[in-house]
Amino acid sequence: MKWFNILRDRIRALRQREDVIDDIDREMRSHLALQVEANIHAGMSPAEASEKAERSFGNVNRAVAAAYDVKGGGVFETLVQDVRYGLRMLAKHKAFTAIAVVTLALGIGANTAIFSVVNELLLSPLPYRDADRVVMLWEVSPSGRHQNSASRANFRAWSAQSTSYQNIAAFSDQRDNLTGVGDPEELTVQLATPNLFKVVGVDPILGRTFLPEDADPSADPVAVLSYGLWQRRFGGQPAIVGQPITLNGAKYTVIGVMPQNFQFHIRQRSGTGRPAELWSILPMPVGPGANERGRFLSTVARLKDGVSVAQADTELRTIAARLSDEAPESNKNWSAEVLPLREQFFGNVRRPLWLMLGAVGFVLLIACANVANLLLSLATTREKEIAVRAALGARRTRIVRQLLTESLLLALLGSLLGLFFAWLGIKALVAISPRDLVSLQTVGLNLTVLAWTLGVSVLTGIIFGLAPAFHISRLNLNDSLKEGGKSESGQATGSRRLRNALVVTEIALAVVLLASAGLLIRSFIRLQQVDRGFNTDNVLTMVVRLSDARYKEDPQVVNFFSQTLERVRQLPTVRSAGIVNFLPLYGGLGSSTGFKILGRPEPPPGQRPGTDVRVVDAGYFATMGIPLLRGRNFSETEQKEPRHVLLINEALARKYFPDQDPLGQRLDVTMFDQPTPAEIIGVVGNVRYDSLVDESPPAVYFPHPDLTYSFMTLVIRTDGDPAAIAPAVQREIRALDPNQPVSDVRTMNDVMADWVSRSRFNTLLLGLFAGLATLLSAVGIFGVMNYSVALRTRELGLRLAVGAQPRQVLLLVLKQGLTLTIAGVVLGLAAASALTRLLSGLLFGIGTVDVTTFTTISVLLVVVSLLACYLPARRAMRIDPLSALRYE
Amino acid sequence: MPQDKADLLQGTLDMLILKALSLGELHGYGIIQRIRQLSDEMLHVEQGSLYPALYRSEQKGWVSSRWDVHQTGREAKFYKLTRTGRKHLEAQEASWDRLVLAIAKVRQAT
Repeated sequence: MKWFNILRDRIRALRQREDVIDDIDREMRSHLALQVEANIHAGMSPAEASEKAERSFGNVNRAVAAAYDVKGGGVFETLVQDVRYGLRMLAKHKAFTAIAVVTLALGIGANTAIFSVVNELLLSPLPYRDADRVVMLWEVSPSGRHQNSASRANFRAWSAQSTSYQNIAAFSDQRDNLTGVGDPEELTVQLATPNLFKVVGVDPILGRTFLPEDADPSADPVAVLSYGLWQRRFGGQPAIVGQPITLNGAKYTVIGVMPQNFQFHIRQRSGTGRPAELWSILPMPVGPGANERGRFLSTVARLKDGVSVAQADTELRTIAARLSDEAPESNKNWSAEVLPLREQFFGNVRRPLWLMLGAVGFVLLIACANVANLLLSLATTREKEIAVRAALGARRTRIVRQLLTESLLLALLGSLLGLFFAWLGIKALVAISPRDLVSLQTVGLNLTVLAWTLGVSVLTGIIFGLAPAFHISRLNLNDSLKEGGKSESGQATGSRRLRNALVVTEIALAVVLLASAGLLIRSFIRLQQVDRGFNTDNVLTMVVRLSDARYKEDPQVVNFFSQTLERVRQLPTVRSAGIVNFLPLYGGLGSSTGFKILGRPEPPPGQRPGTDVRVVDAGYFATMGIPLLRGRNFSETEQKEPRHVLLINEALARKYFPDQDPLGQRLDVTMFDQPTPAEIIGVVGNVRYDSLVDESPPAVYFPHPDLTYSFMTLVIRTDGDPAAIAPAVQREIRALDPNQPVSDVRTMNDVMADWVSRSRFNTLLLGLFAGLATLLSAVGIFGVMNYSVALRTRELGLRLAVGAQPRQVLLLVLKQGLTLTIAGVVLGLAAASALTRLLSGLLFGIGTVDVTTFTTISVLLVVVSLLACYLPARRAMRIDPLSALRYE
Repeated sequence: MPQDKADLLQGTLDMLILKALSLGELHGYGIIQRIRQLSDEMLHVEQGSLYPALYRSEQKGWVSSRWDVHQTGREAKFYKLTRTGRKHLEAQEASWDRLVLAIAKVRQAT
């Protein structure tokens, strides 16, 4: 009630200020008149009566003002006044306003753009029901390899023995050929246990998802479509439910369609590199010949209410330890882990993202320091105005409030422009983001982001406004009025110190950013230069996956690929061609397969040697530029039928045959149903298959007939642009089999670029922010030096007048700027040495304190700031002594 | 800028104004006069303090106001105690009595 009345009065006063004042005035005059009347009544003459009354009343205006304080607009009115006044001030100092607003907009825009990504990836809920209750379950290998696929046997044991989950589902992605409607096409298919959709908690928009009975081996095969596939291949017809489709030559009945935005793509161990477009039942055969020990399953589960991730993790480790004892032949020393879904999706980007947010925070701080400096410089020219206001009775809090209002106005203007910058920035971010950050596509300016921006800009306004405001409000009135506020002496010393401190701070911040960016750039260059063991130029790759239904026998498959290669090699510009089951850096199984060296004693379980296994033809090595170091390549016969031979890489030769000739030795790699020793016929160079960062592990190469894969990647080396040959290759494949699709047509350089894309993304962004920081601090030091020269005009003029050389004046100013810069650089290097530790996981080949990088960026900053000082210094050199002395 | 004399005094002034109005509707000048009479010419409230206090009391809902014509034919703004105002006054007087009593006891102690 009370507050409502006050508010009502305040708002009325804002709208009808004159009326309110009139009313008060009228009451005062009526009061005065009553007093006069009373005086006359008491026997005074009219003149005496009114004089006495007025004297006792005092100043009517002041009485009105005091009353107005209660009834008037109060804070609201001062706010409106302050805003009006602030806008007038900003409009008056156009250059200042423009620079300040653009500076702030850059800082706020960069912050908003990065925050919108952080918000999307790290803060927004994942698009699954109660997504924080969904976890991934993985095995951990004896060598400490995390997020390893699980075997069917172990998945079954987890399901049976764990009590932490409402539901636990297994899935595995693969590529299958869809035929029968339009052109044949290769799809990513997610094979899953029926309860997968229950675990993620998403319902279909059409039909149903899997029921337990769909998993019965005798049941008819069923399929669930993604929204995209439904639209693209089946015209979005609701009648699709119940219709048959052909997948790898087998019939499936469509039972449902998922919602538009649904996807469940766990990149780790997926091997397909893209989200599934179709779901079908994961076969879970039991018994002999089912190879229950092979590890290829991903596992996802929904926690029971009240069960924490840590509890589930402990339970799973206990089960894994038990399995290690029960089935040591396949589980010895294997462990397991539980990972929250968000961690699974974004665990590896979390750190870089927070770092980026930190980096843009630094940029914003630099922008704040710059604007604070501008405000301080401006304030000195406004000293007189402020002194007059203070002399006229403005309270100090009132002046601080006025100045803060101006800062907030600046910040809000900056954030408006900043939102525009952010909008542009987000578009750019999405355009250059790594392909695997799929969900970045949905990043945008939403309410959370806008609220955050508003918060940031208010905070910014206070940060850069507070120091100048308090500083100015402390000024000594008399001095300001007397001196006209144009000197570098006396009370201005405090202001100069503050300005210098701000500049040193921003240079230090810029050093930290530059150092971080420099480290990333150096790592990135190293990454490009690393000897990866193959040559990517002029190589085209494409995946061909034969349908098991139509190519039932291994020789058919081998024959198809050798015919394809024969035809491809005939094409113009093709220099060589080959096949491999998994390309370098493509993902793939990546698991370590055990092997035995014949004639050596059996090692204890868990300590068997392991190797990467690839399937290739003889042409693969020449095409990829992998050297044959010893022995020979596969012969014609060995590429037609199994002759039990293999090639090994140098790493395997070094590790297992350090002082023995590996040629002629026989290895039994456990890839086959029964022991099948193969003879080593040659040694080839190492290739970094899994990552550019890690050293190559041991690897063996089987010829295609020995270990037949129905999906292989063609690699083709050409003269000139490799992409140009793609249509001709596809024609040849279609000539062999009109129903055979190809997929993933990419040059090897693209494959490489994809692999380094995240590292490039981080480097690019941080580099950009560091550049921005350097630019802003250059502007900052320019502003400070320029202003300092303006203040010292008289002193410098005097020096020139008494015989100083212009050169000396130039050096004097440069020296002043250099002192500030070096102070900032030293401070920044100290901070950088501590802070770049945060980058450790992102660097490759260098430490977090790298002398070369730190030296380079220090020199760079000194040069930049000298350039920034040069203009003011030149101005100082050209001061005309006479006019300078007459200056005041 | 001069601050308000003291919050302690302001509460007292509010109470005096409400007390004056409790005897009947009055304009600002009349309030000053009545307080003077009631205090045997010992208390003289300044206009500069009266009106802000009056306006504040109005905002708090203790008094209501209207313009009317004075018996002398002159127009004036008249203030009247509201029901909330009366309750507030009673509460104020009670606590004032307690305070006076307490102070008196303390003083007698020496």
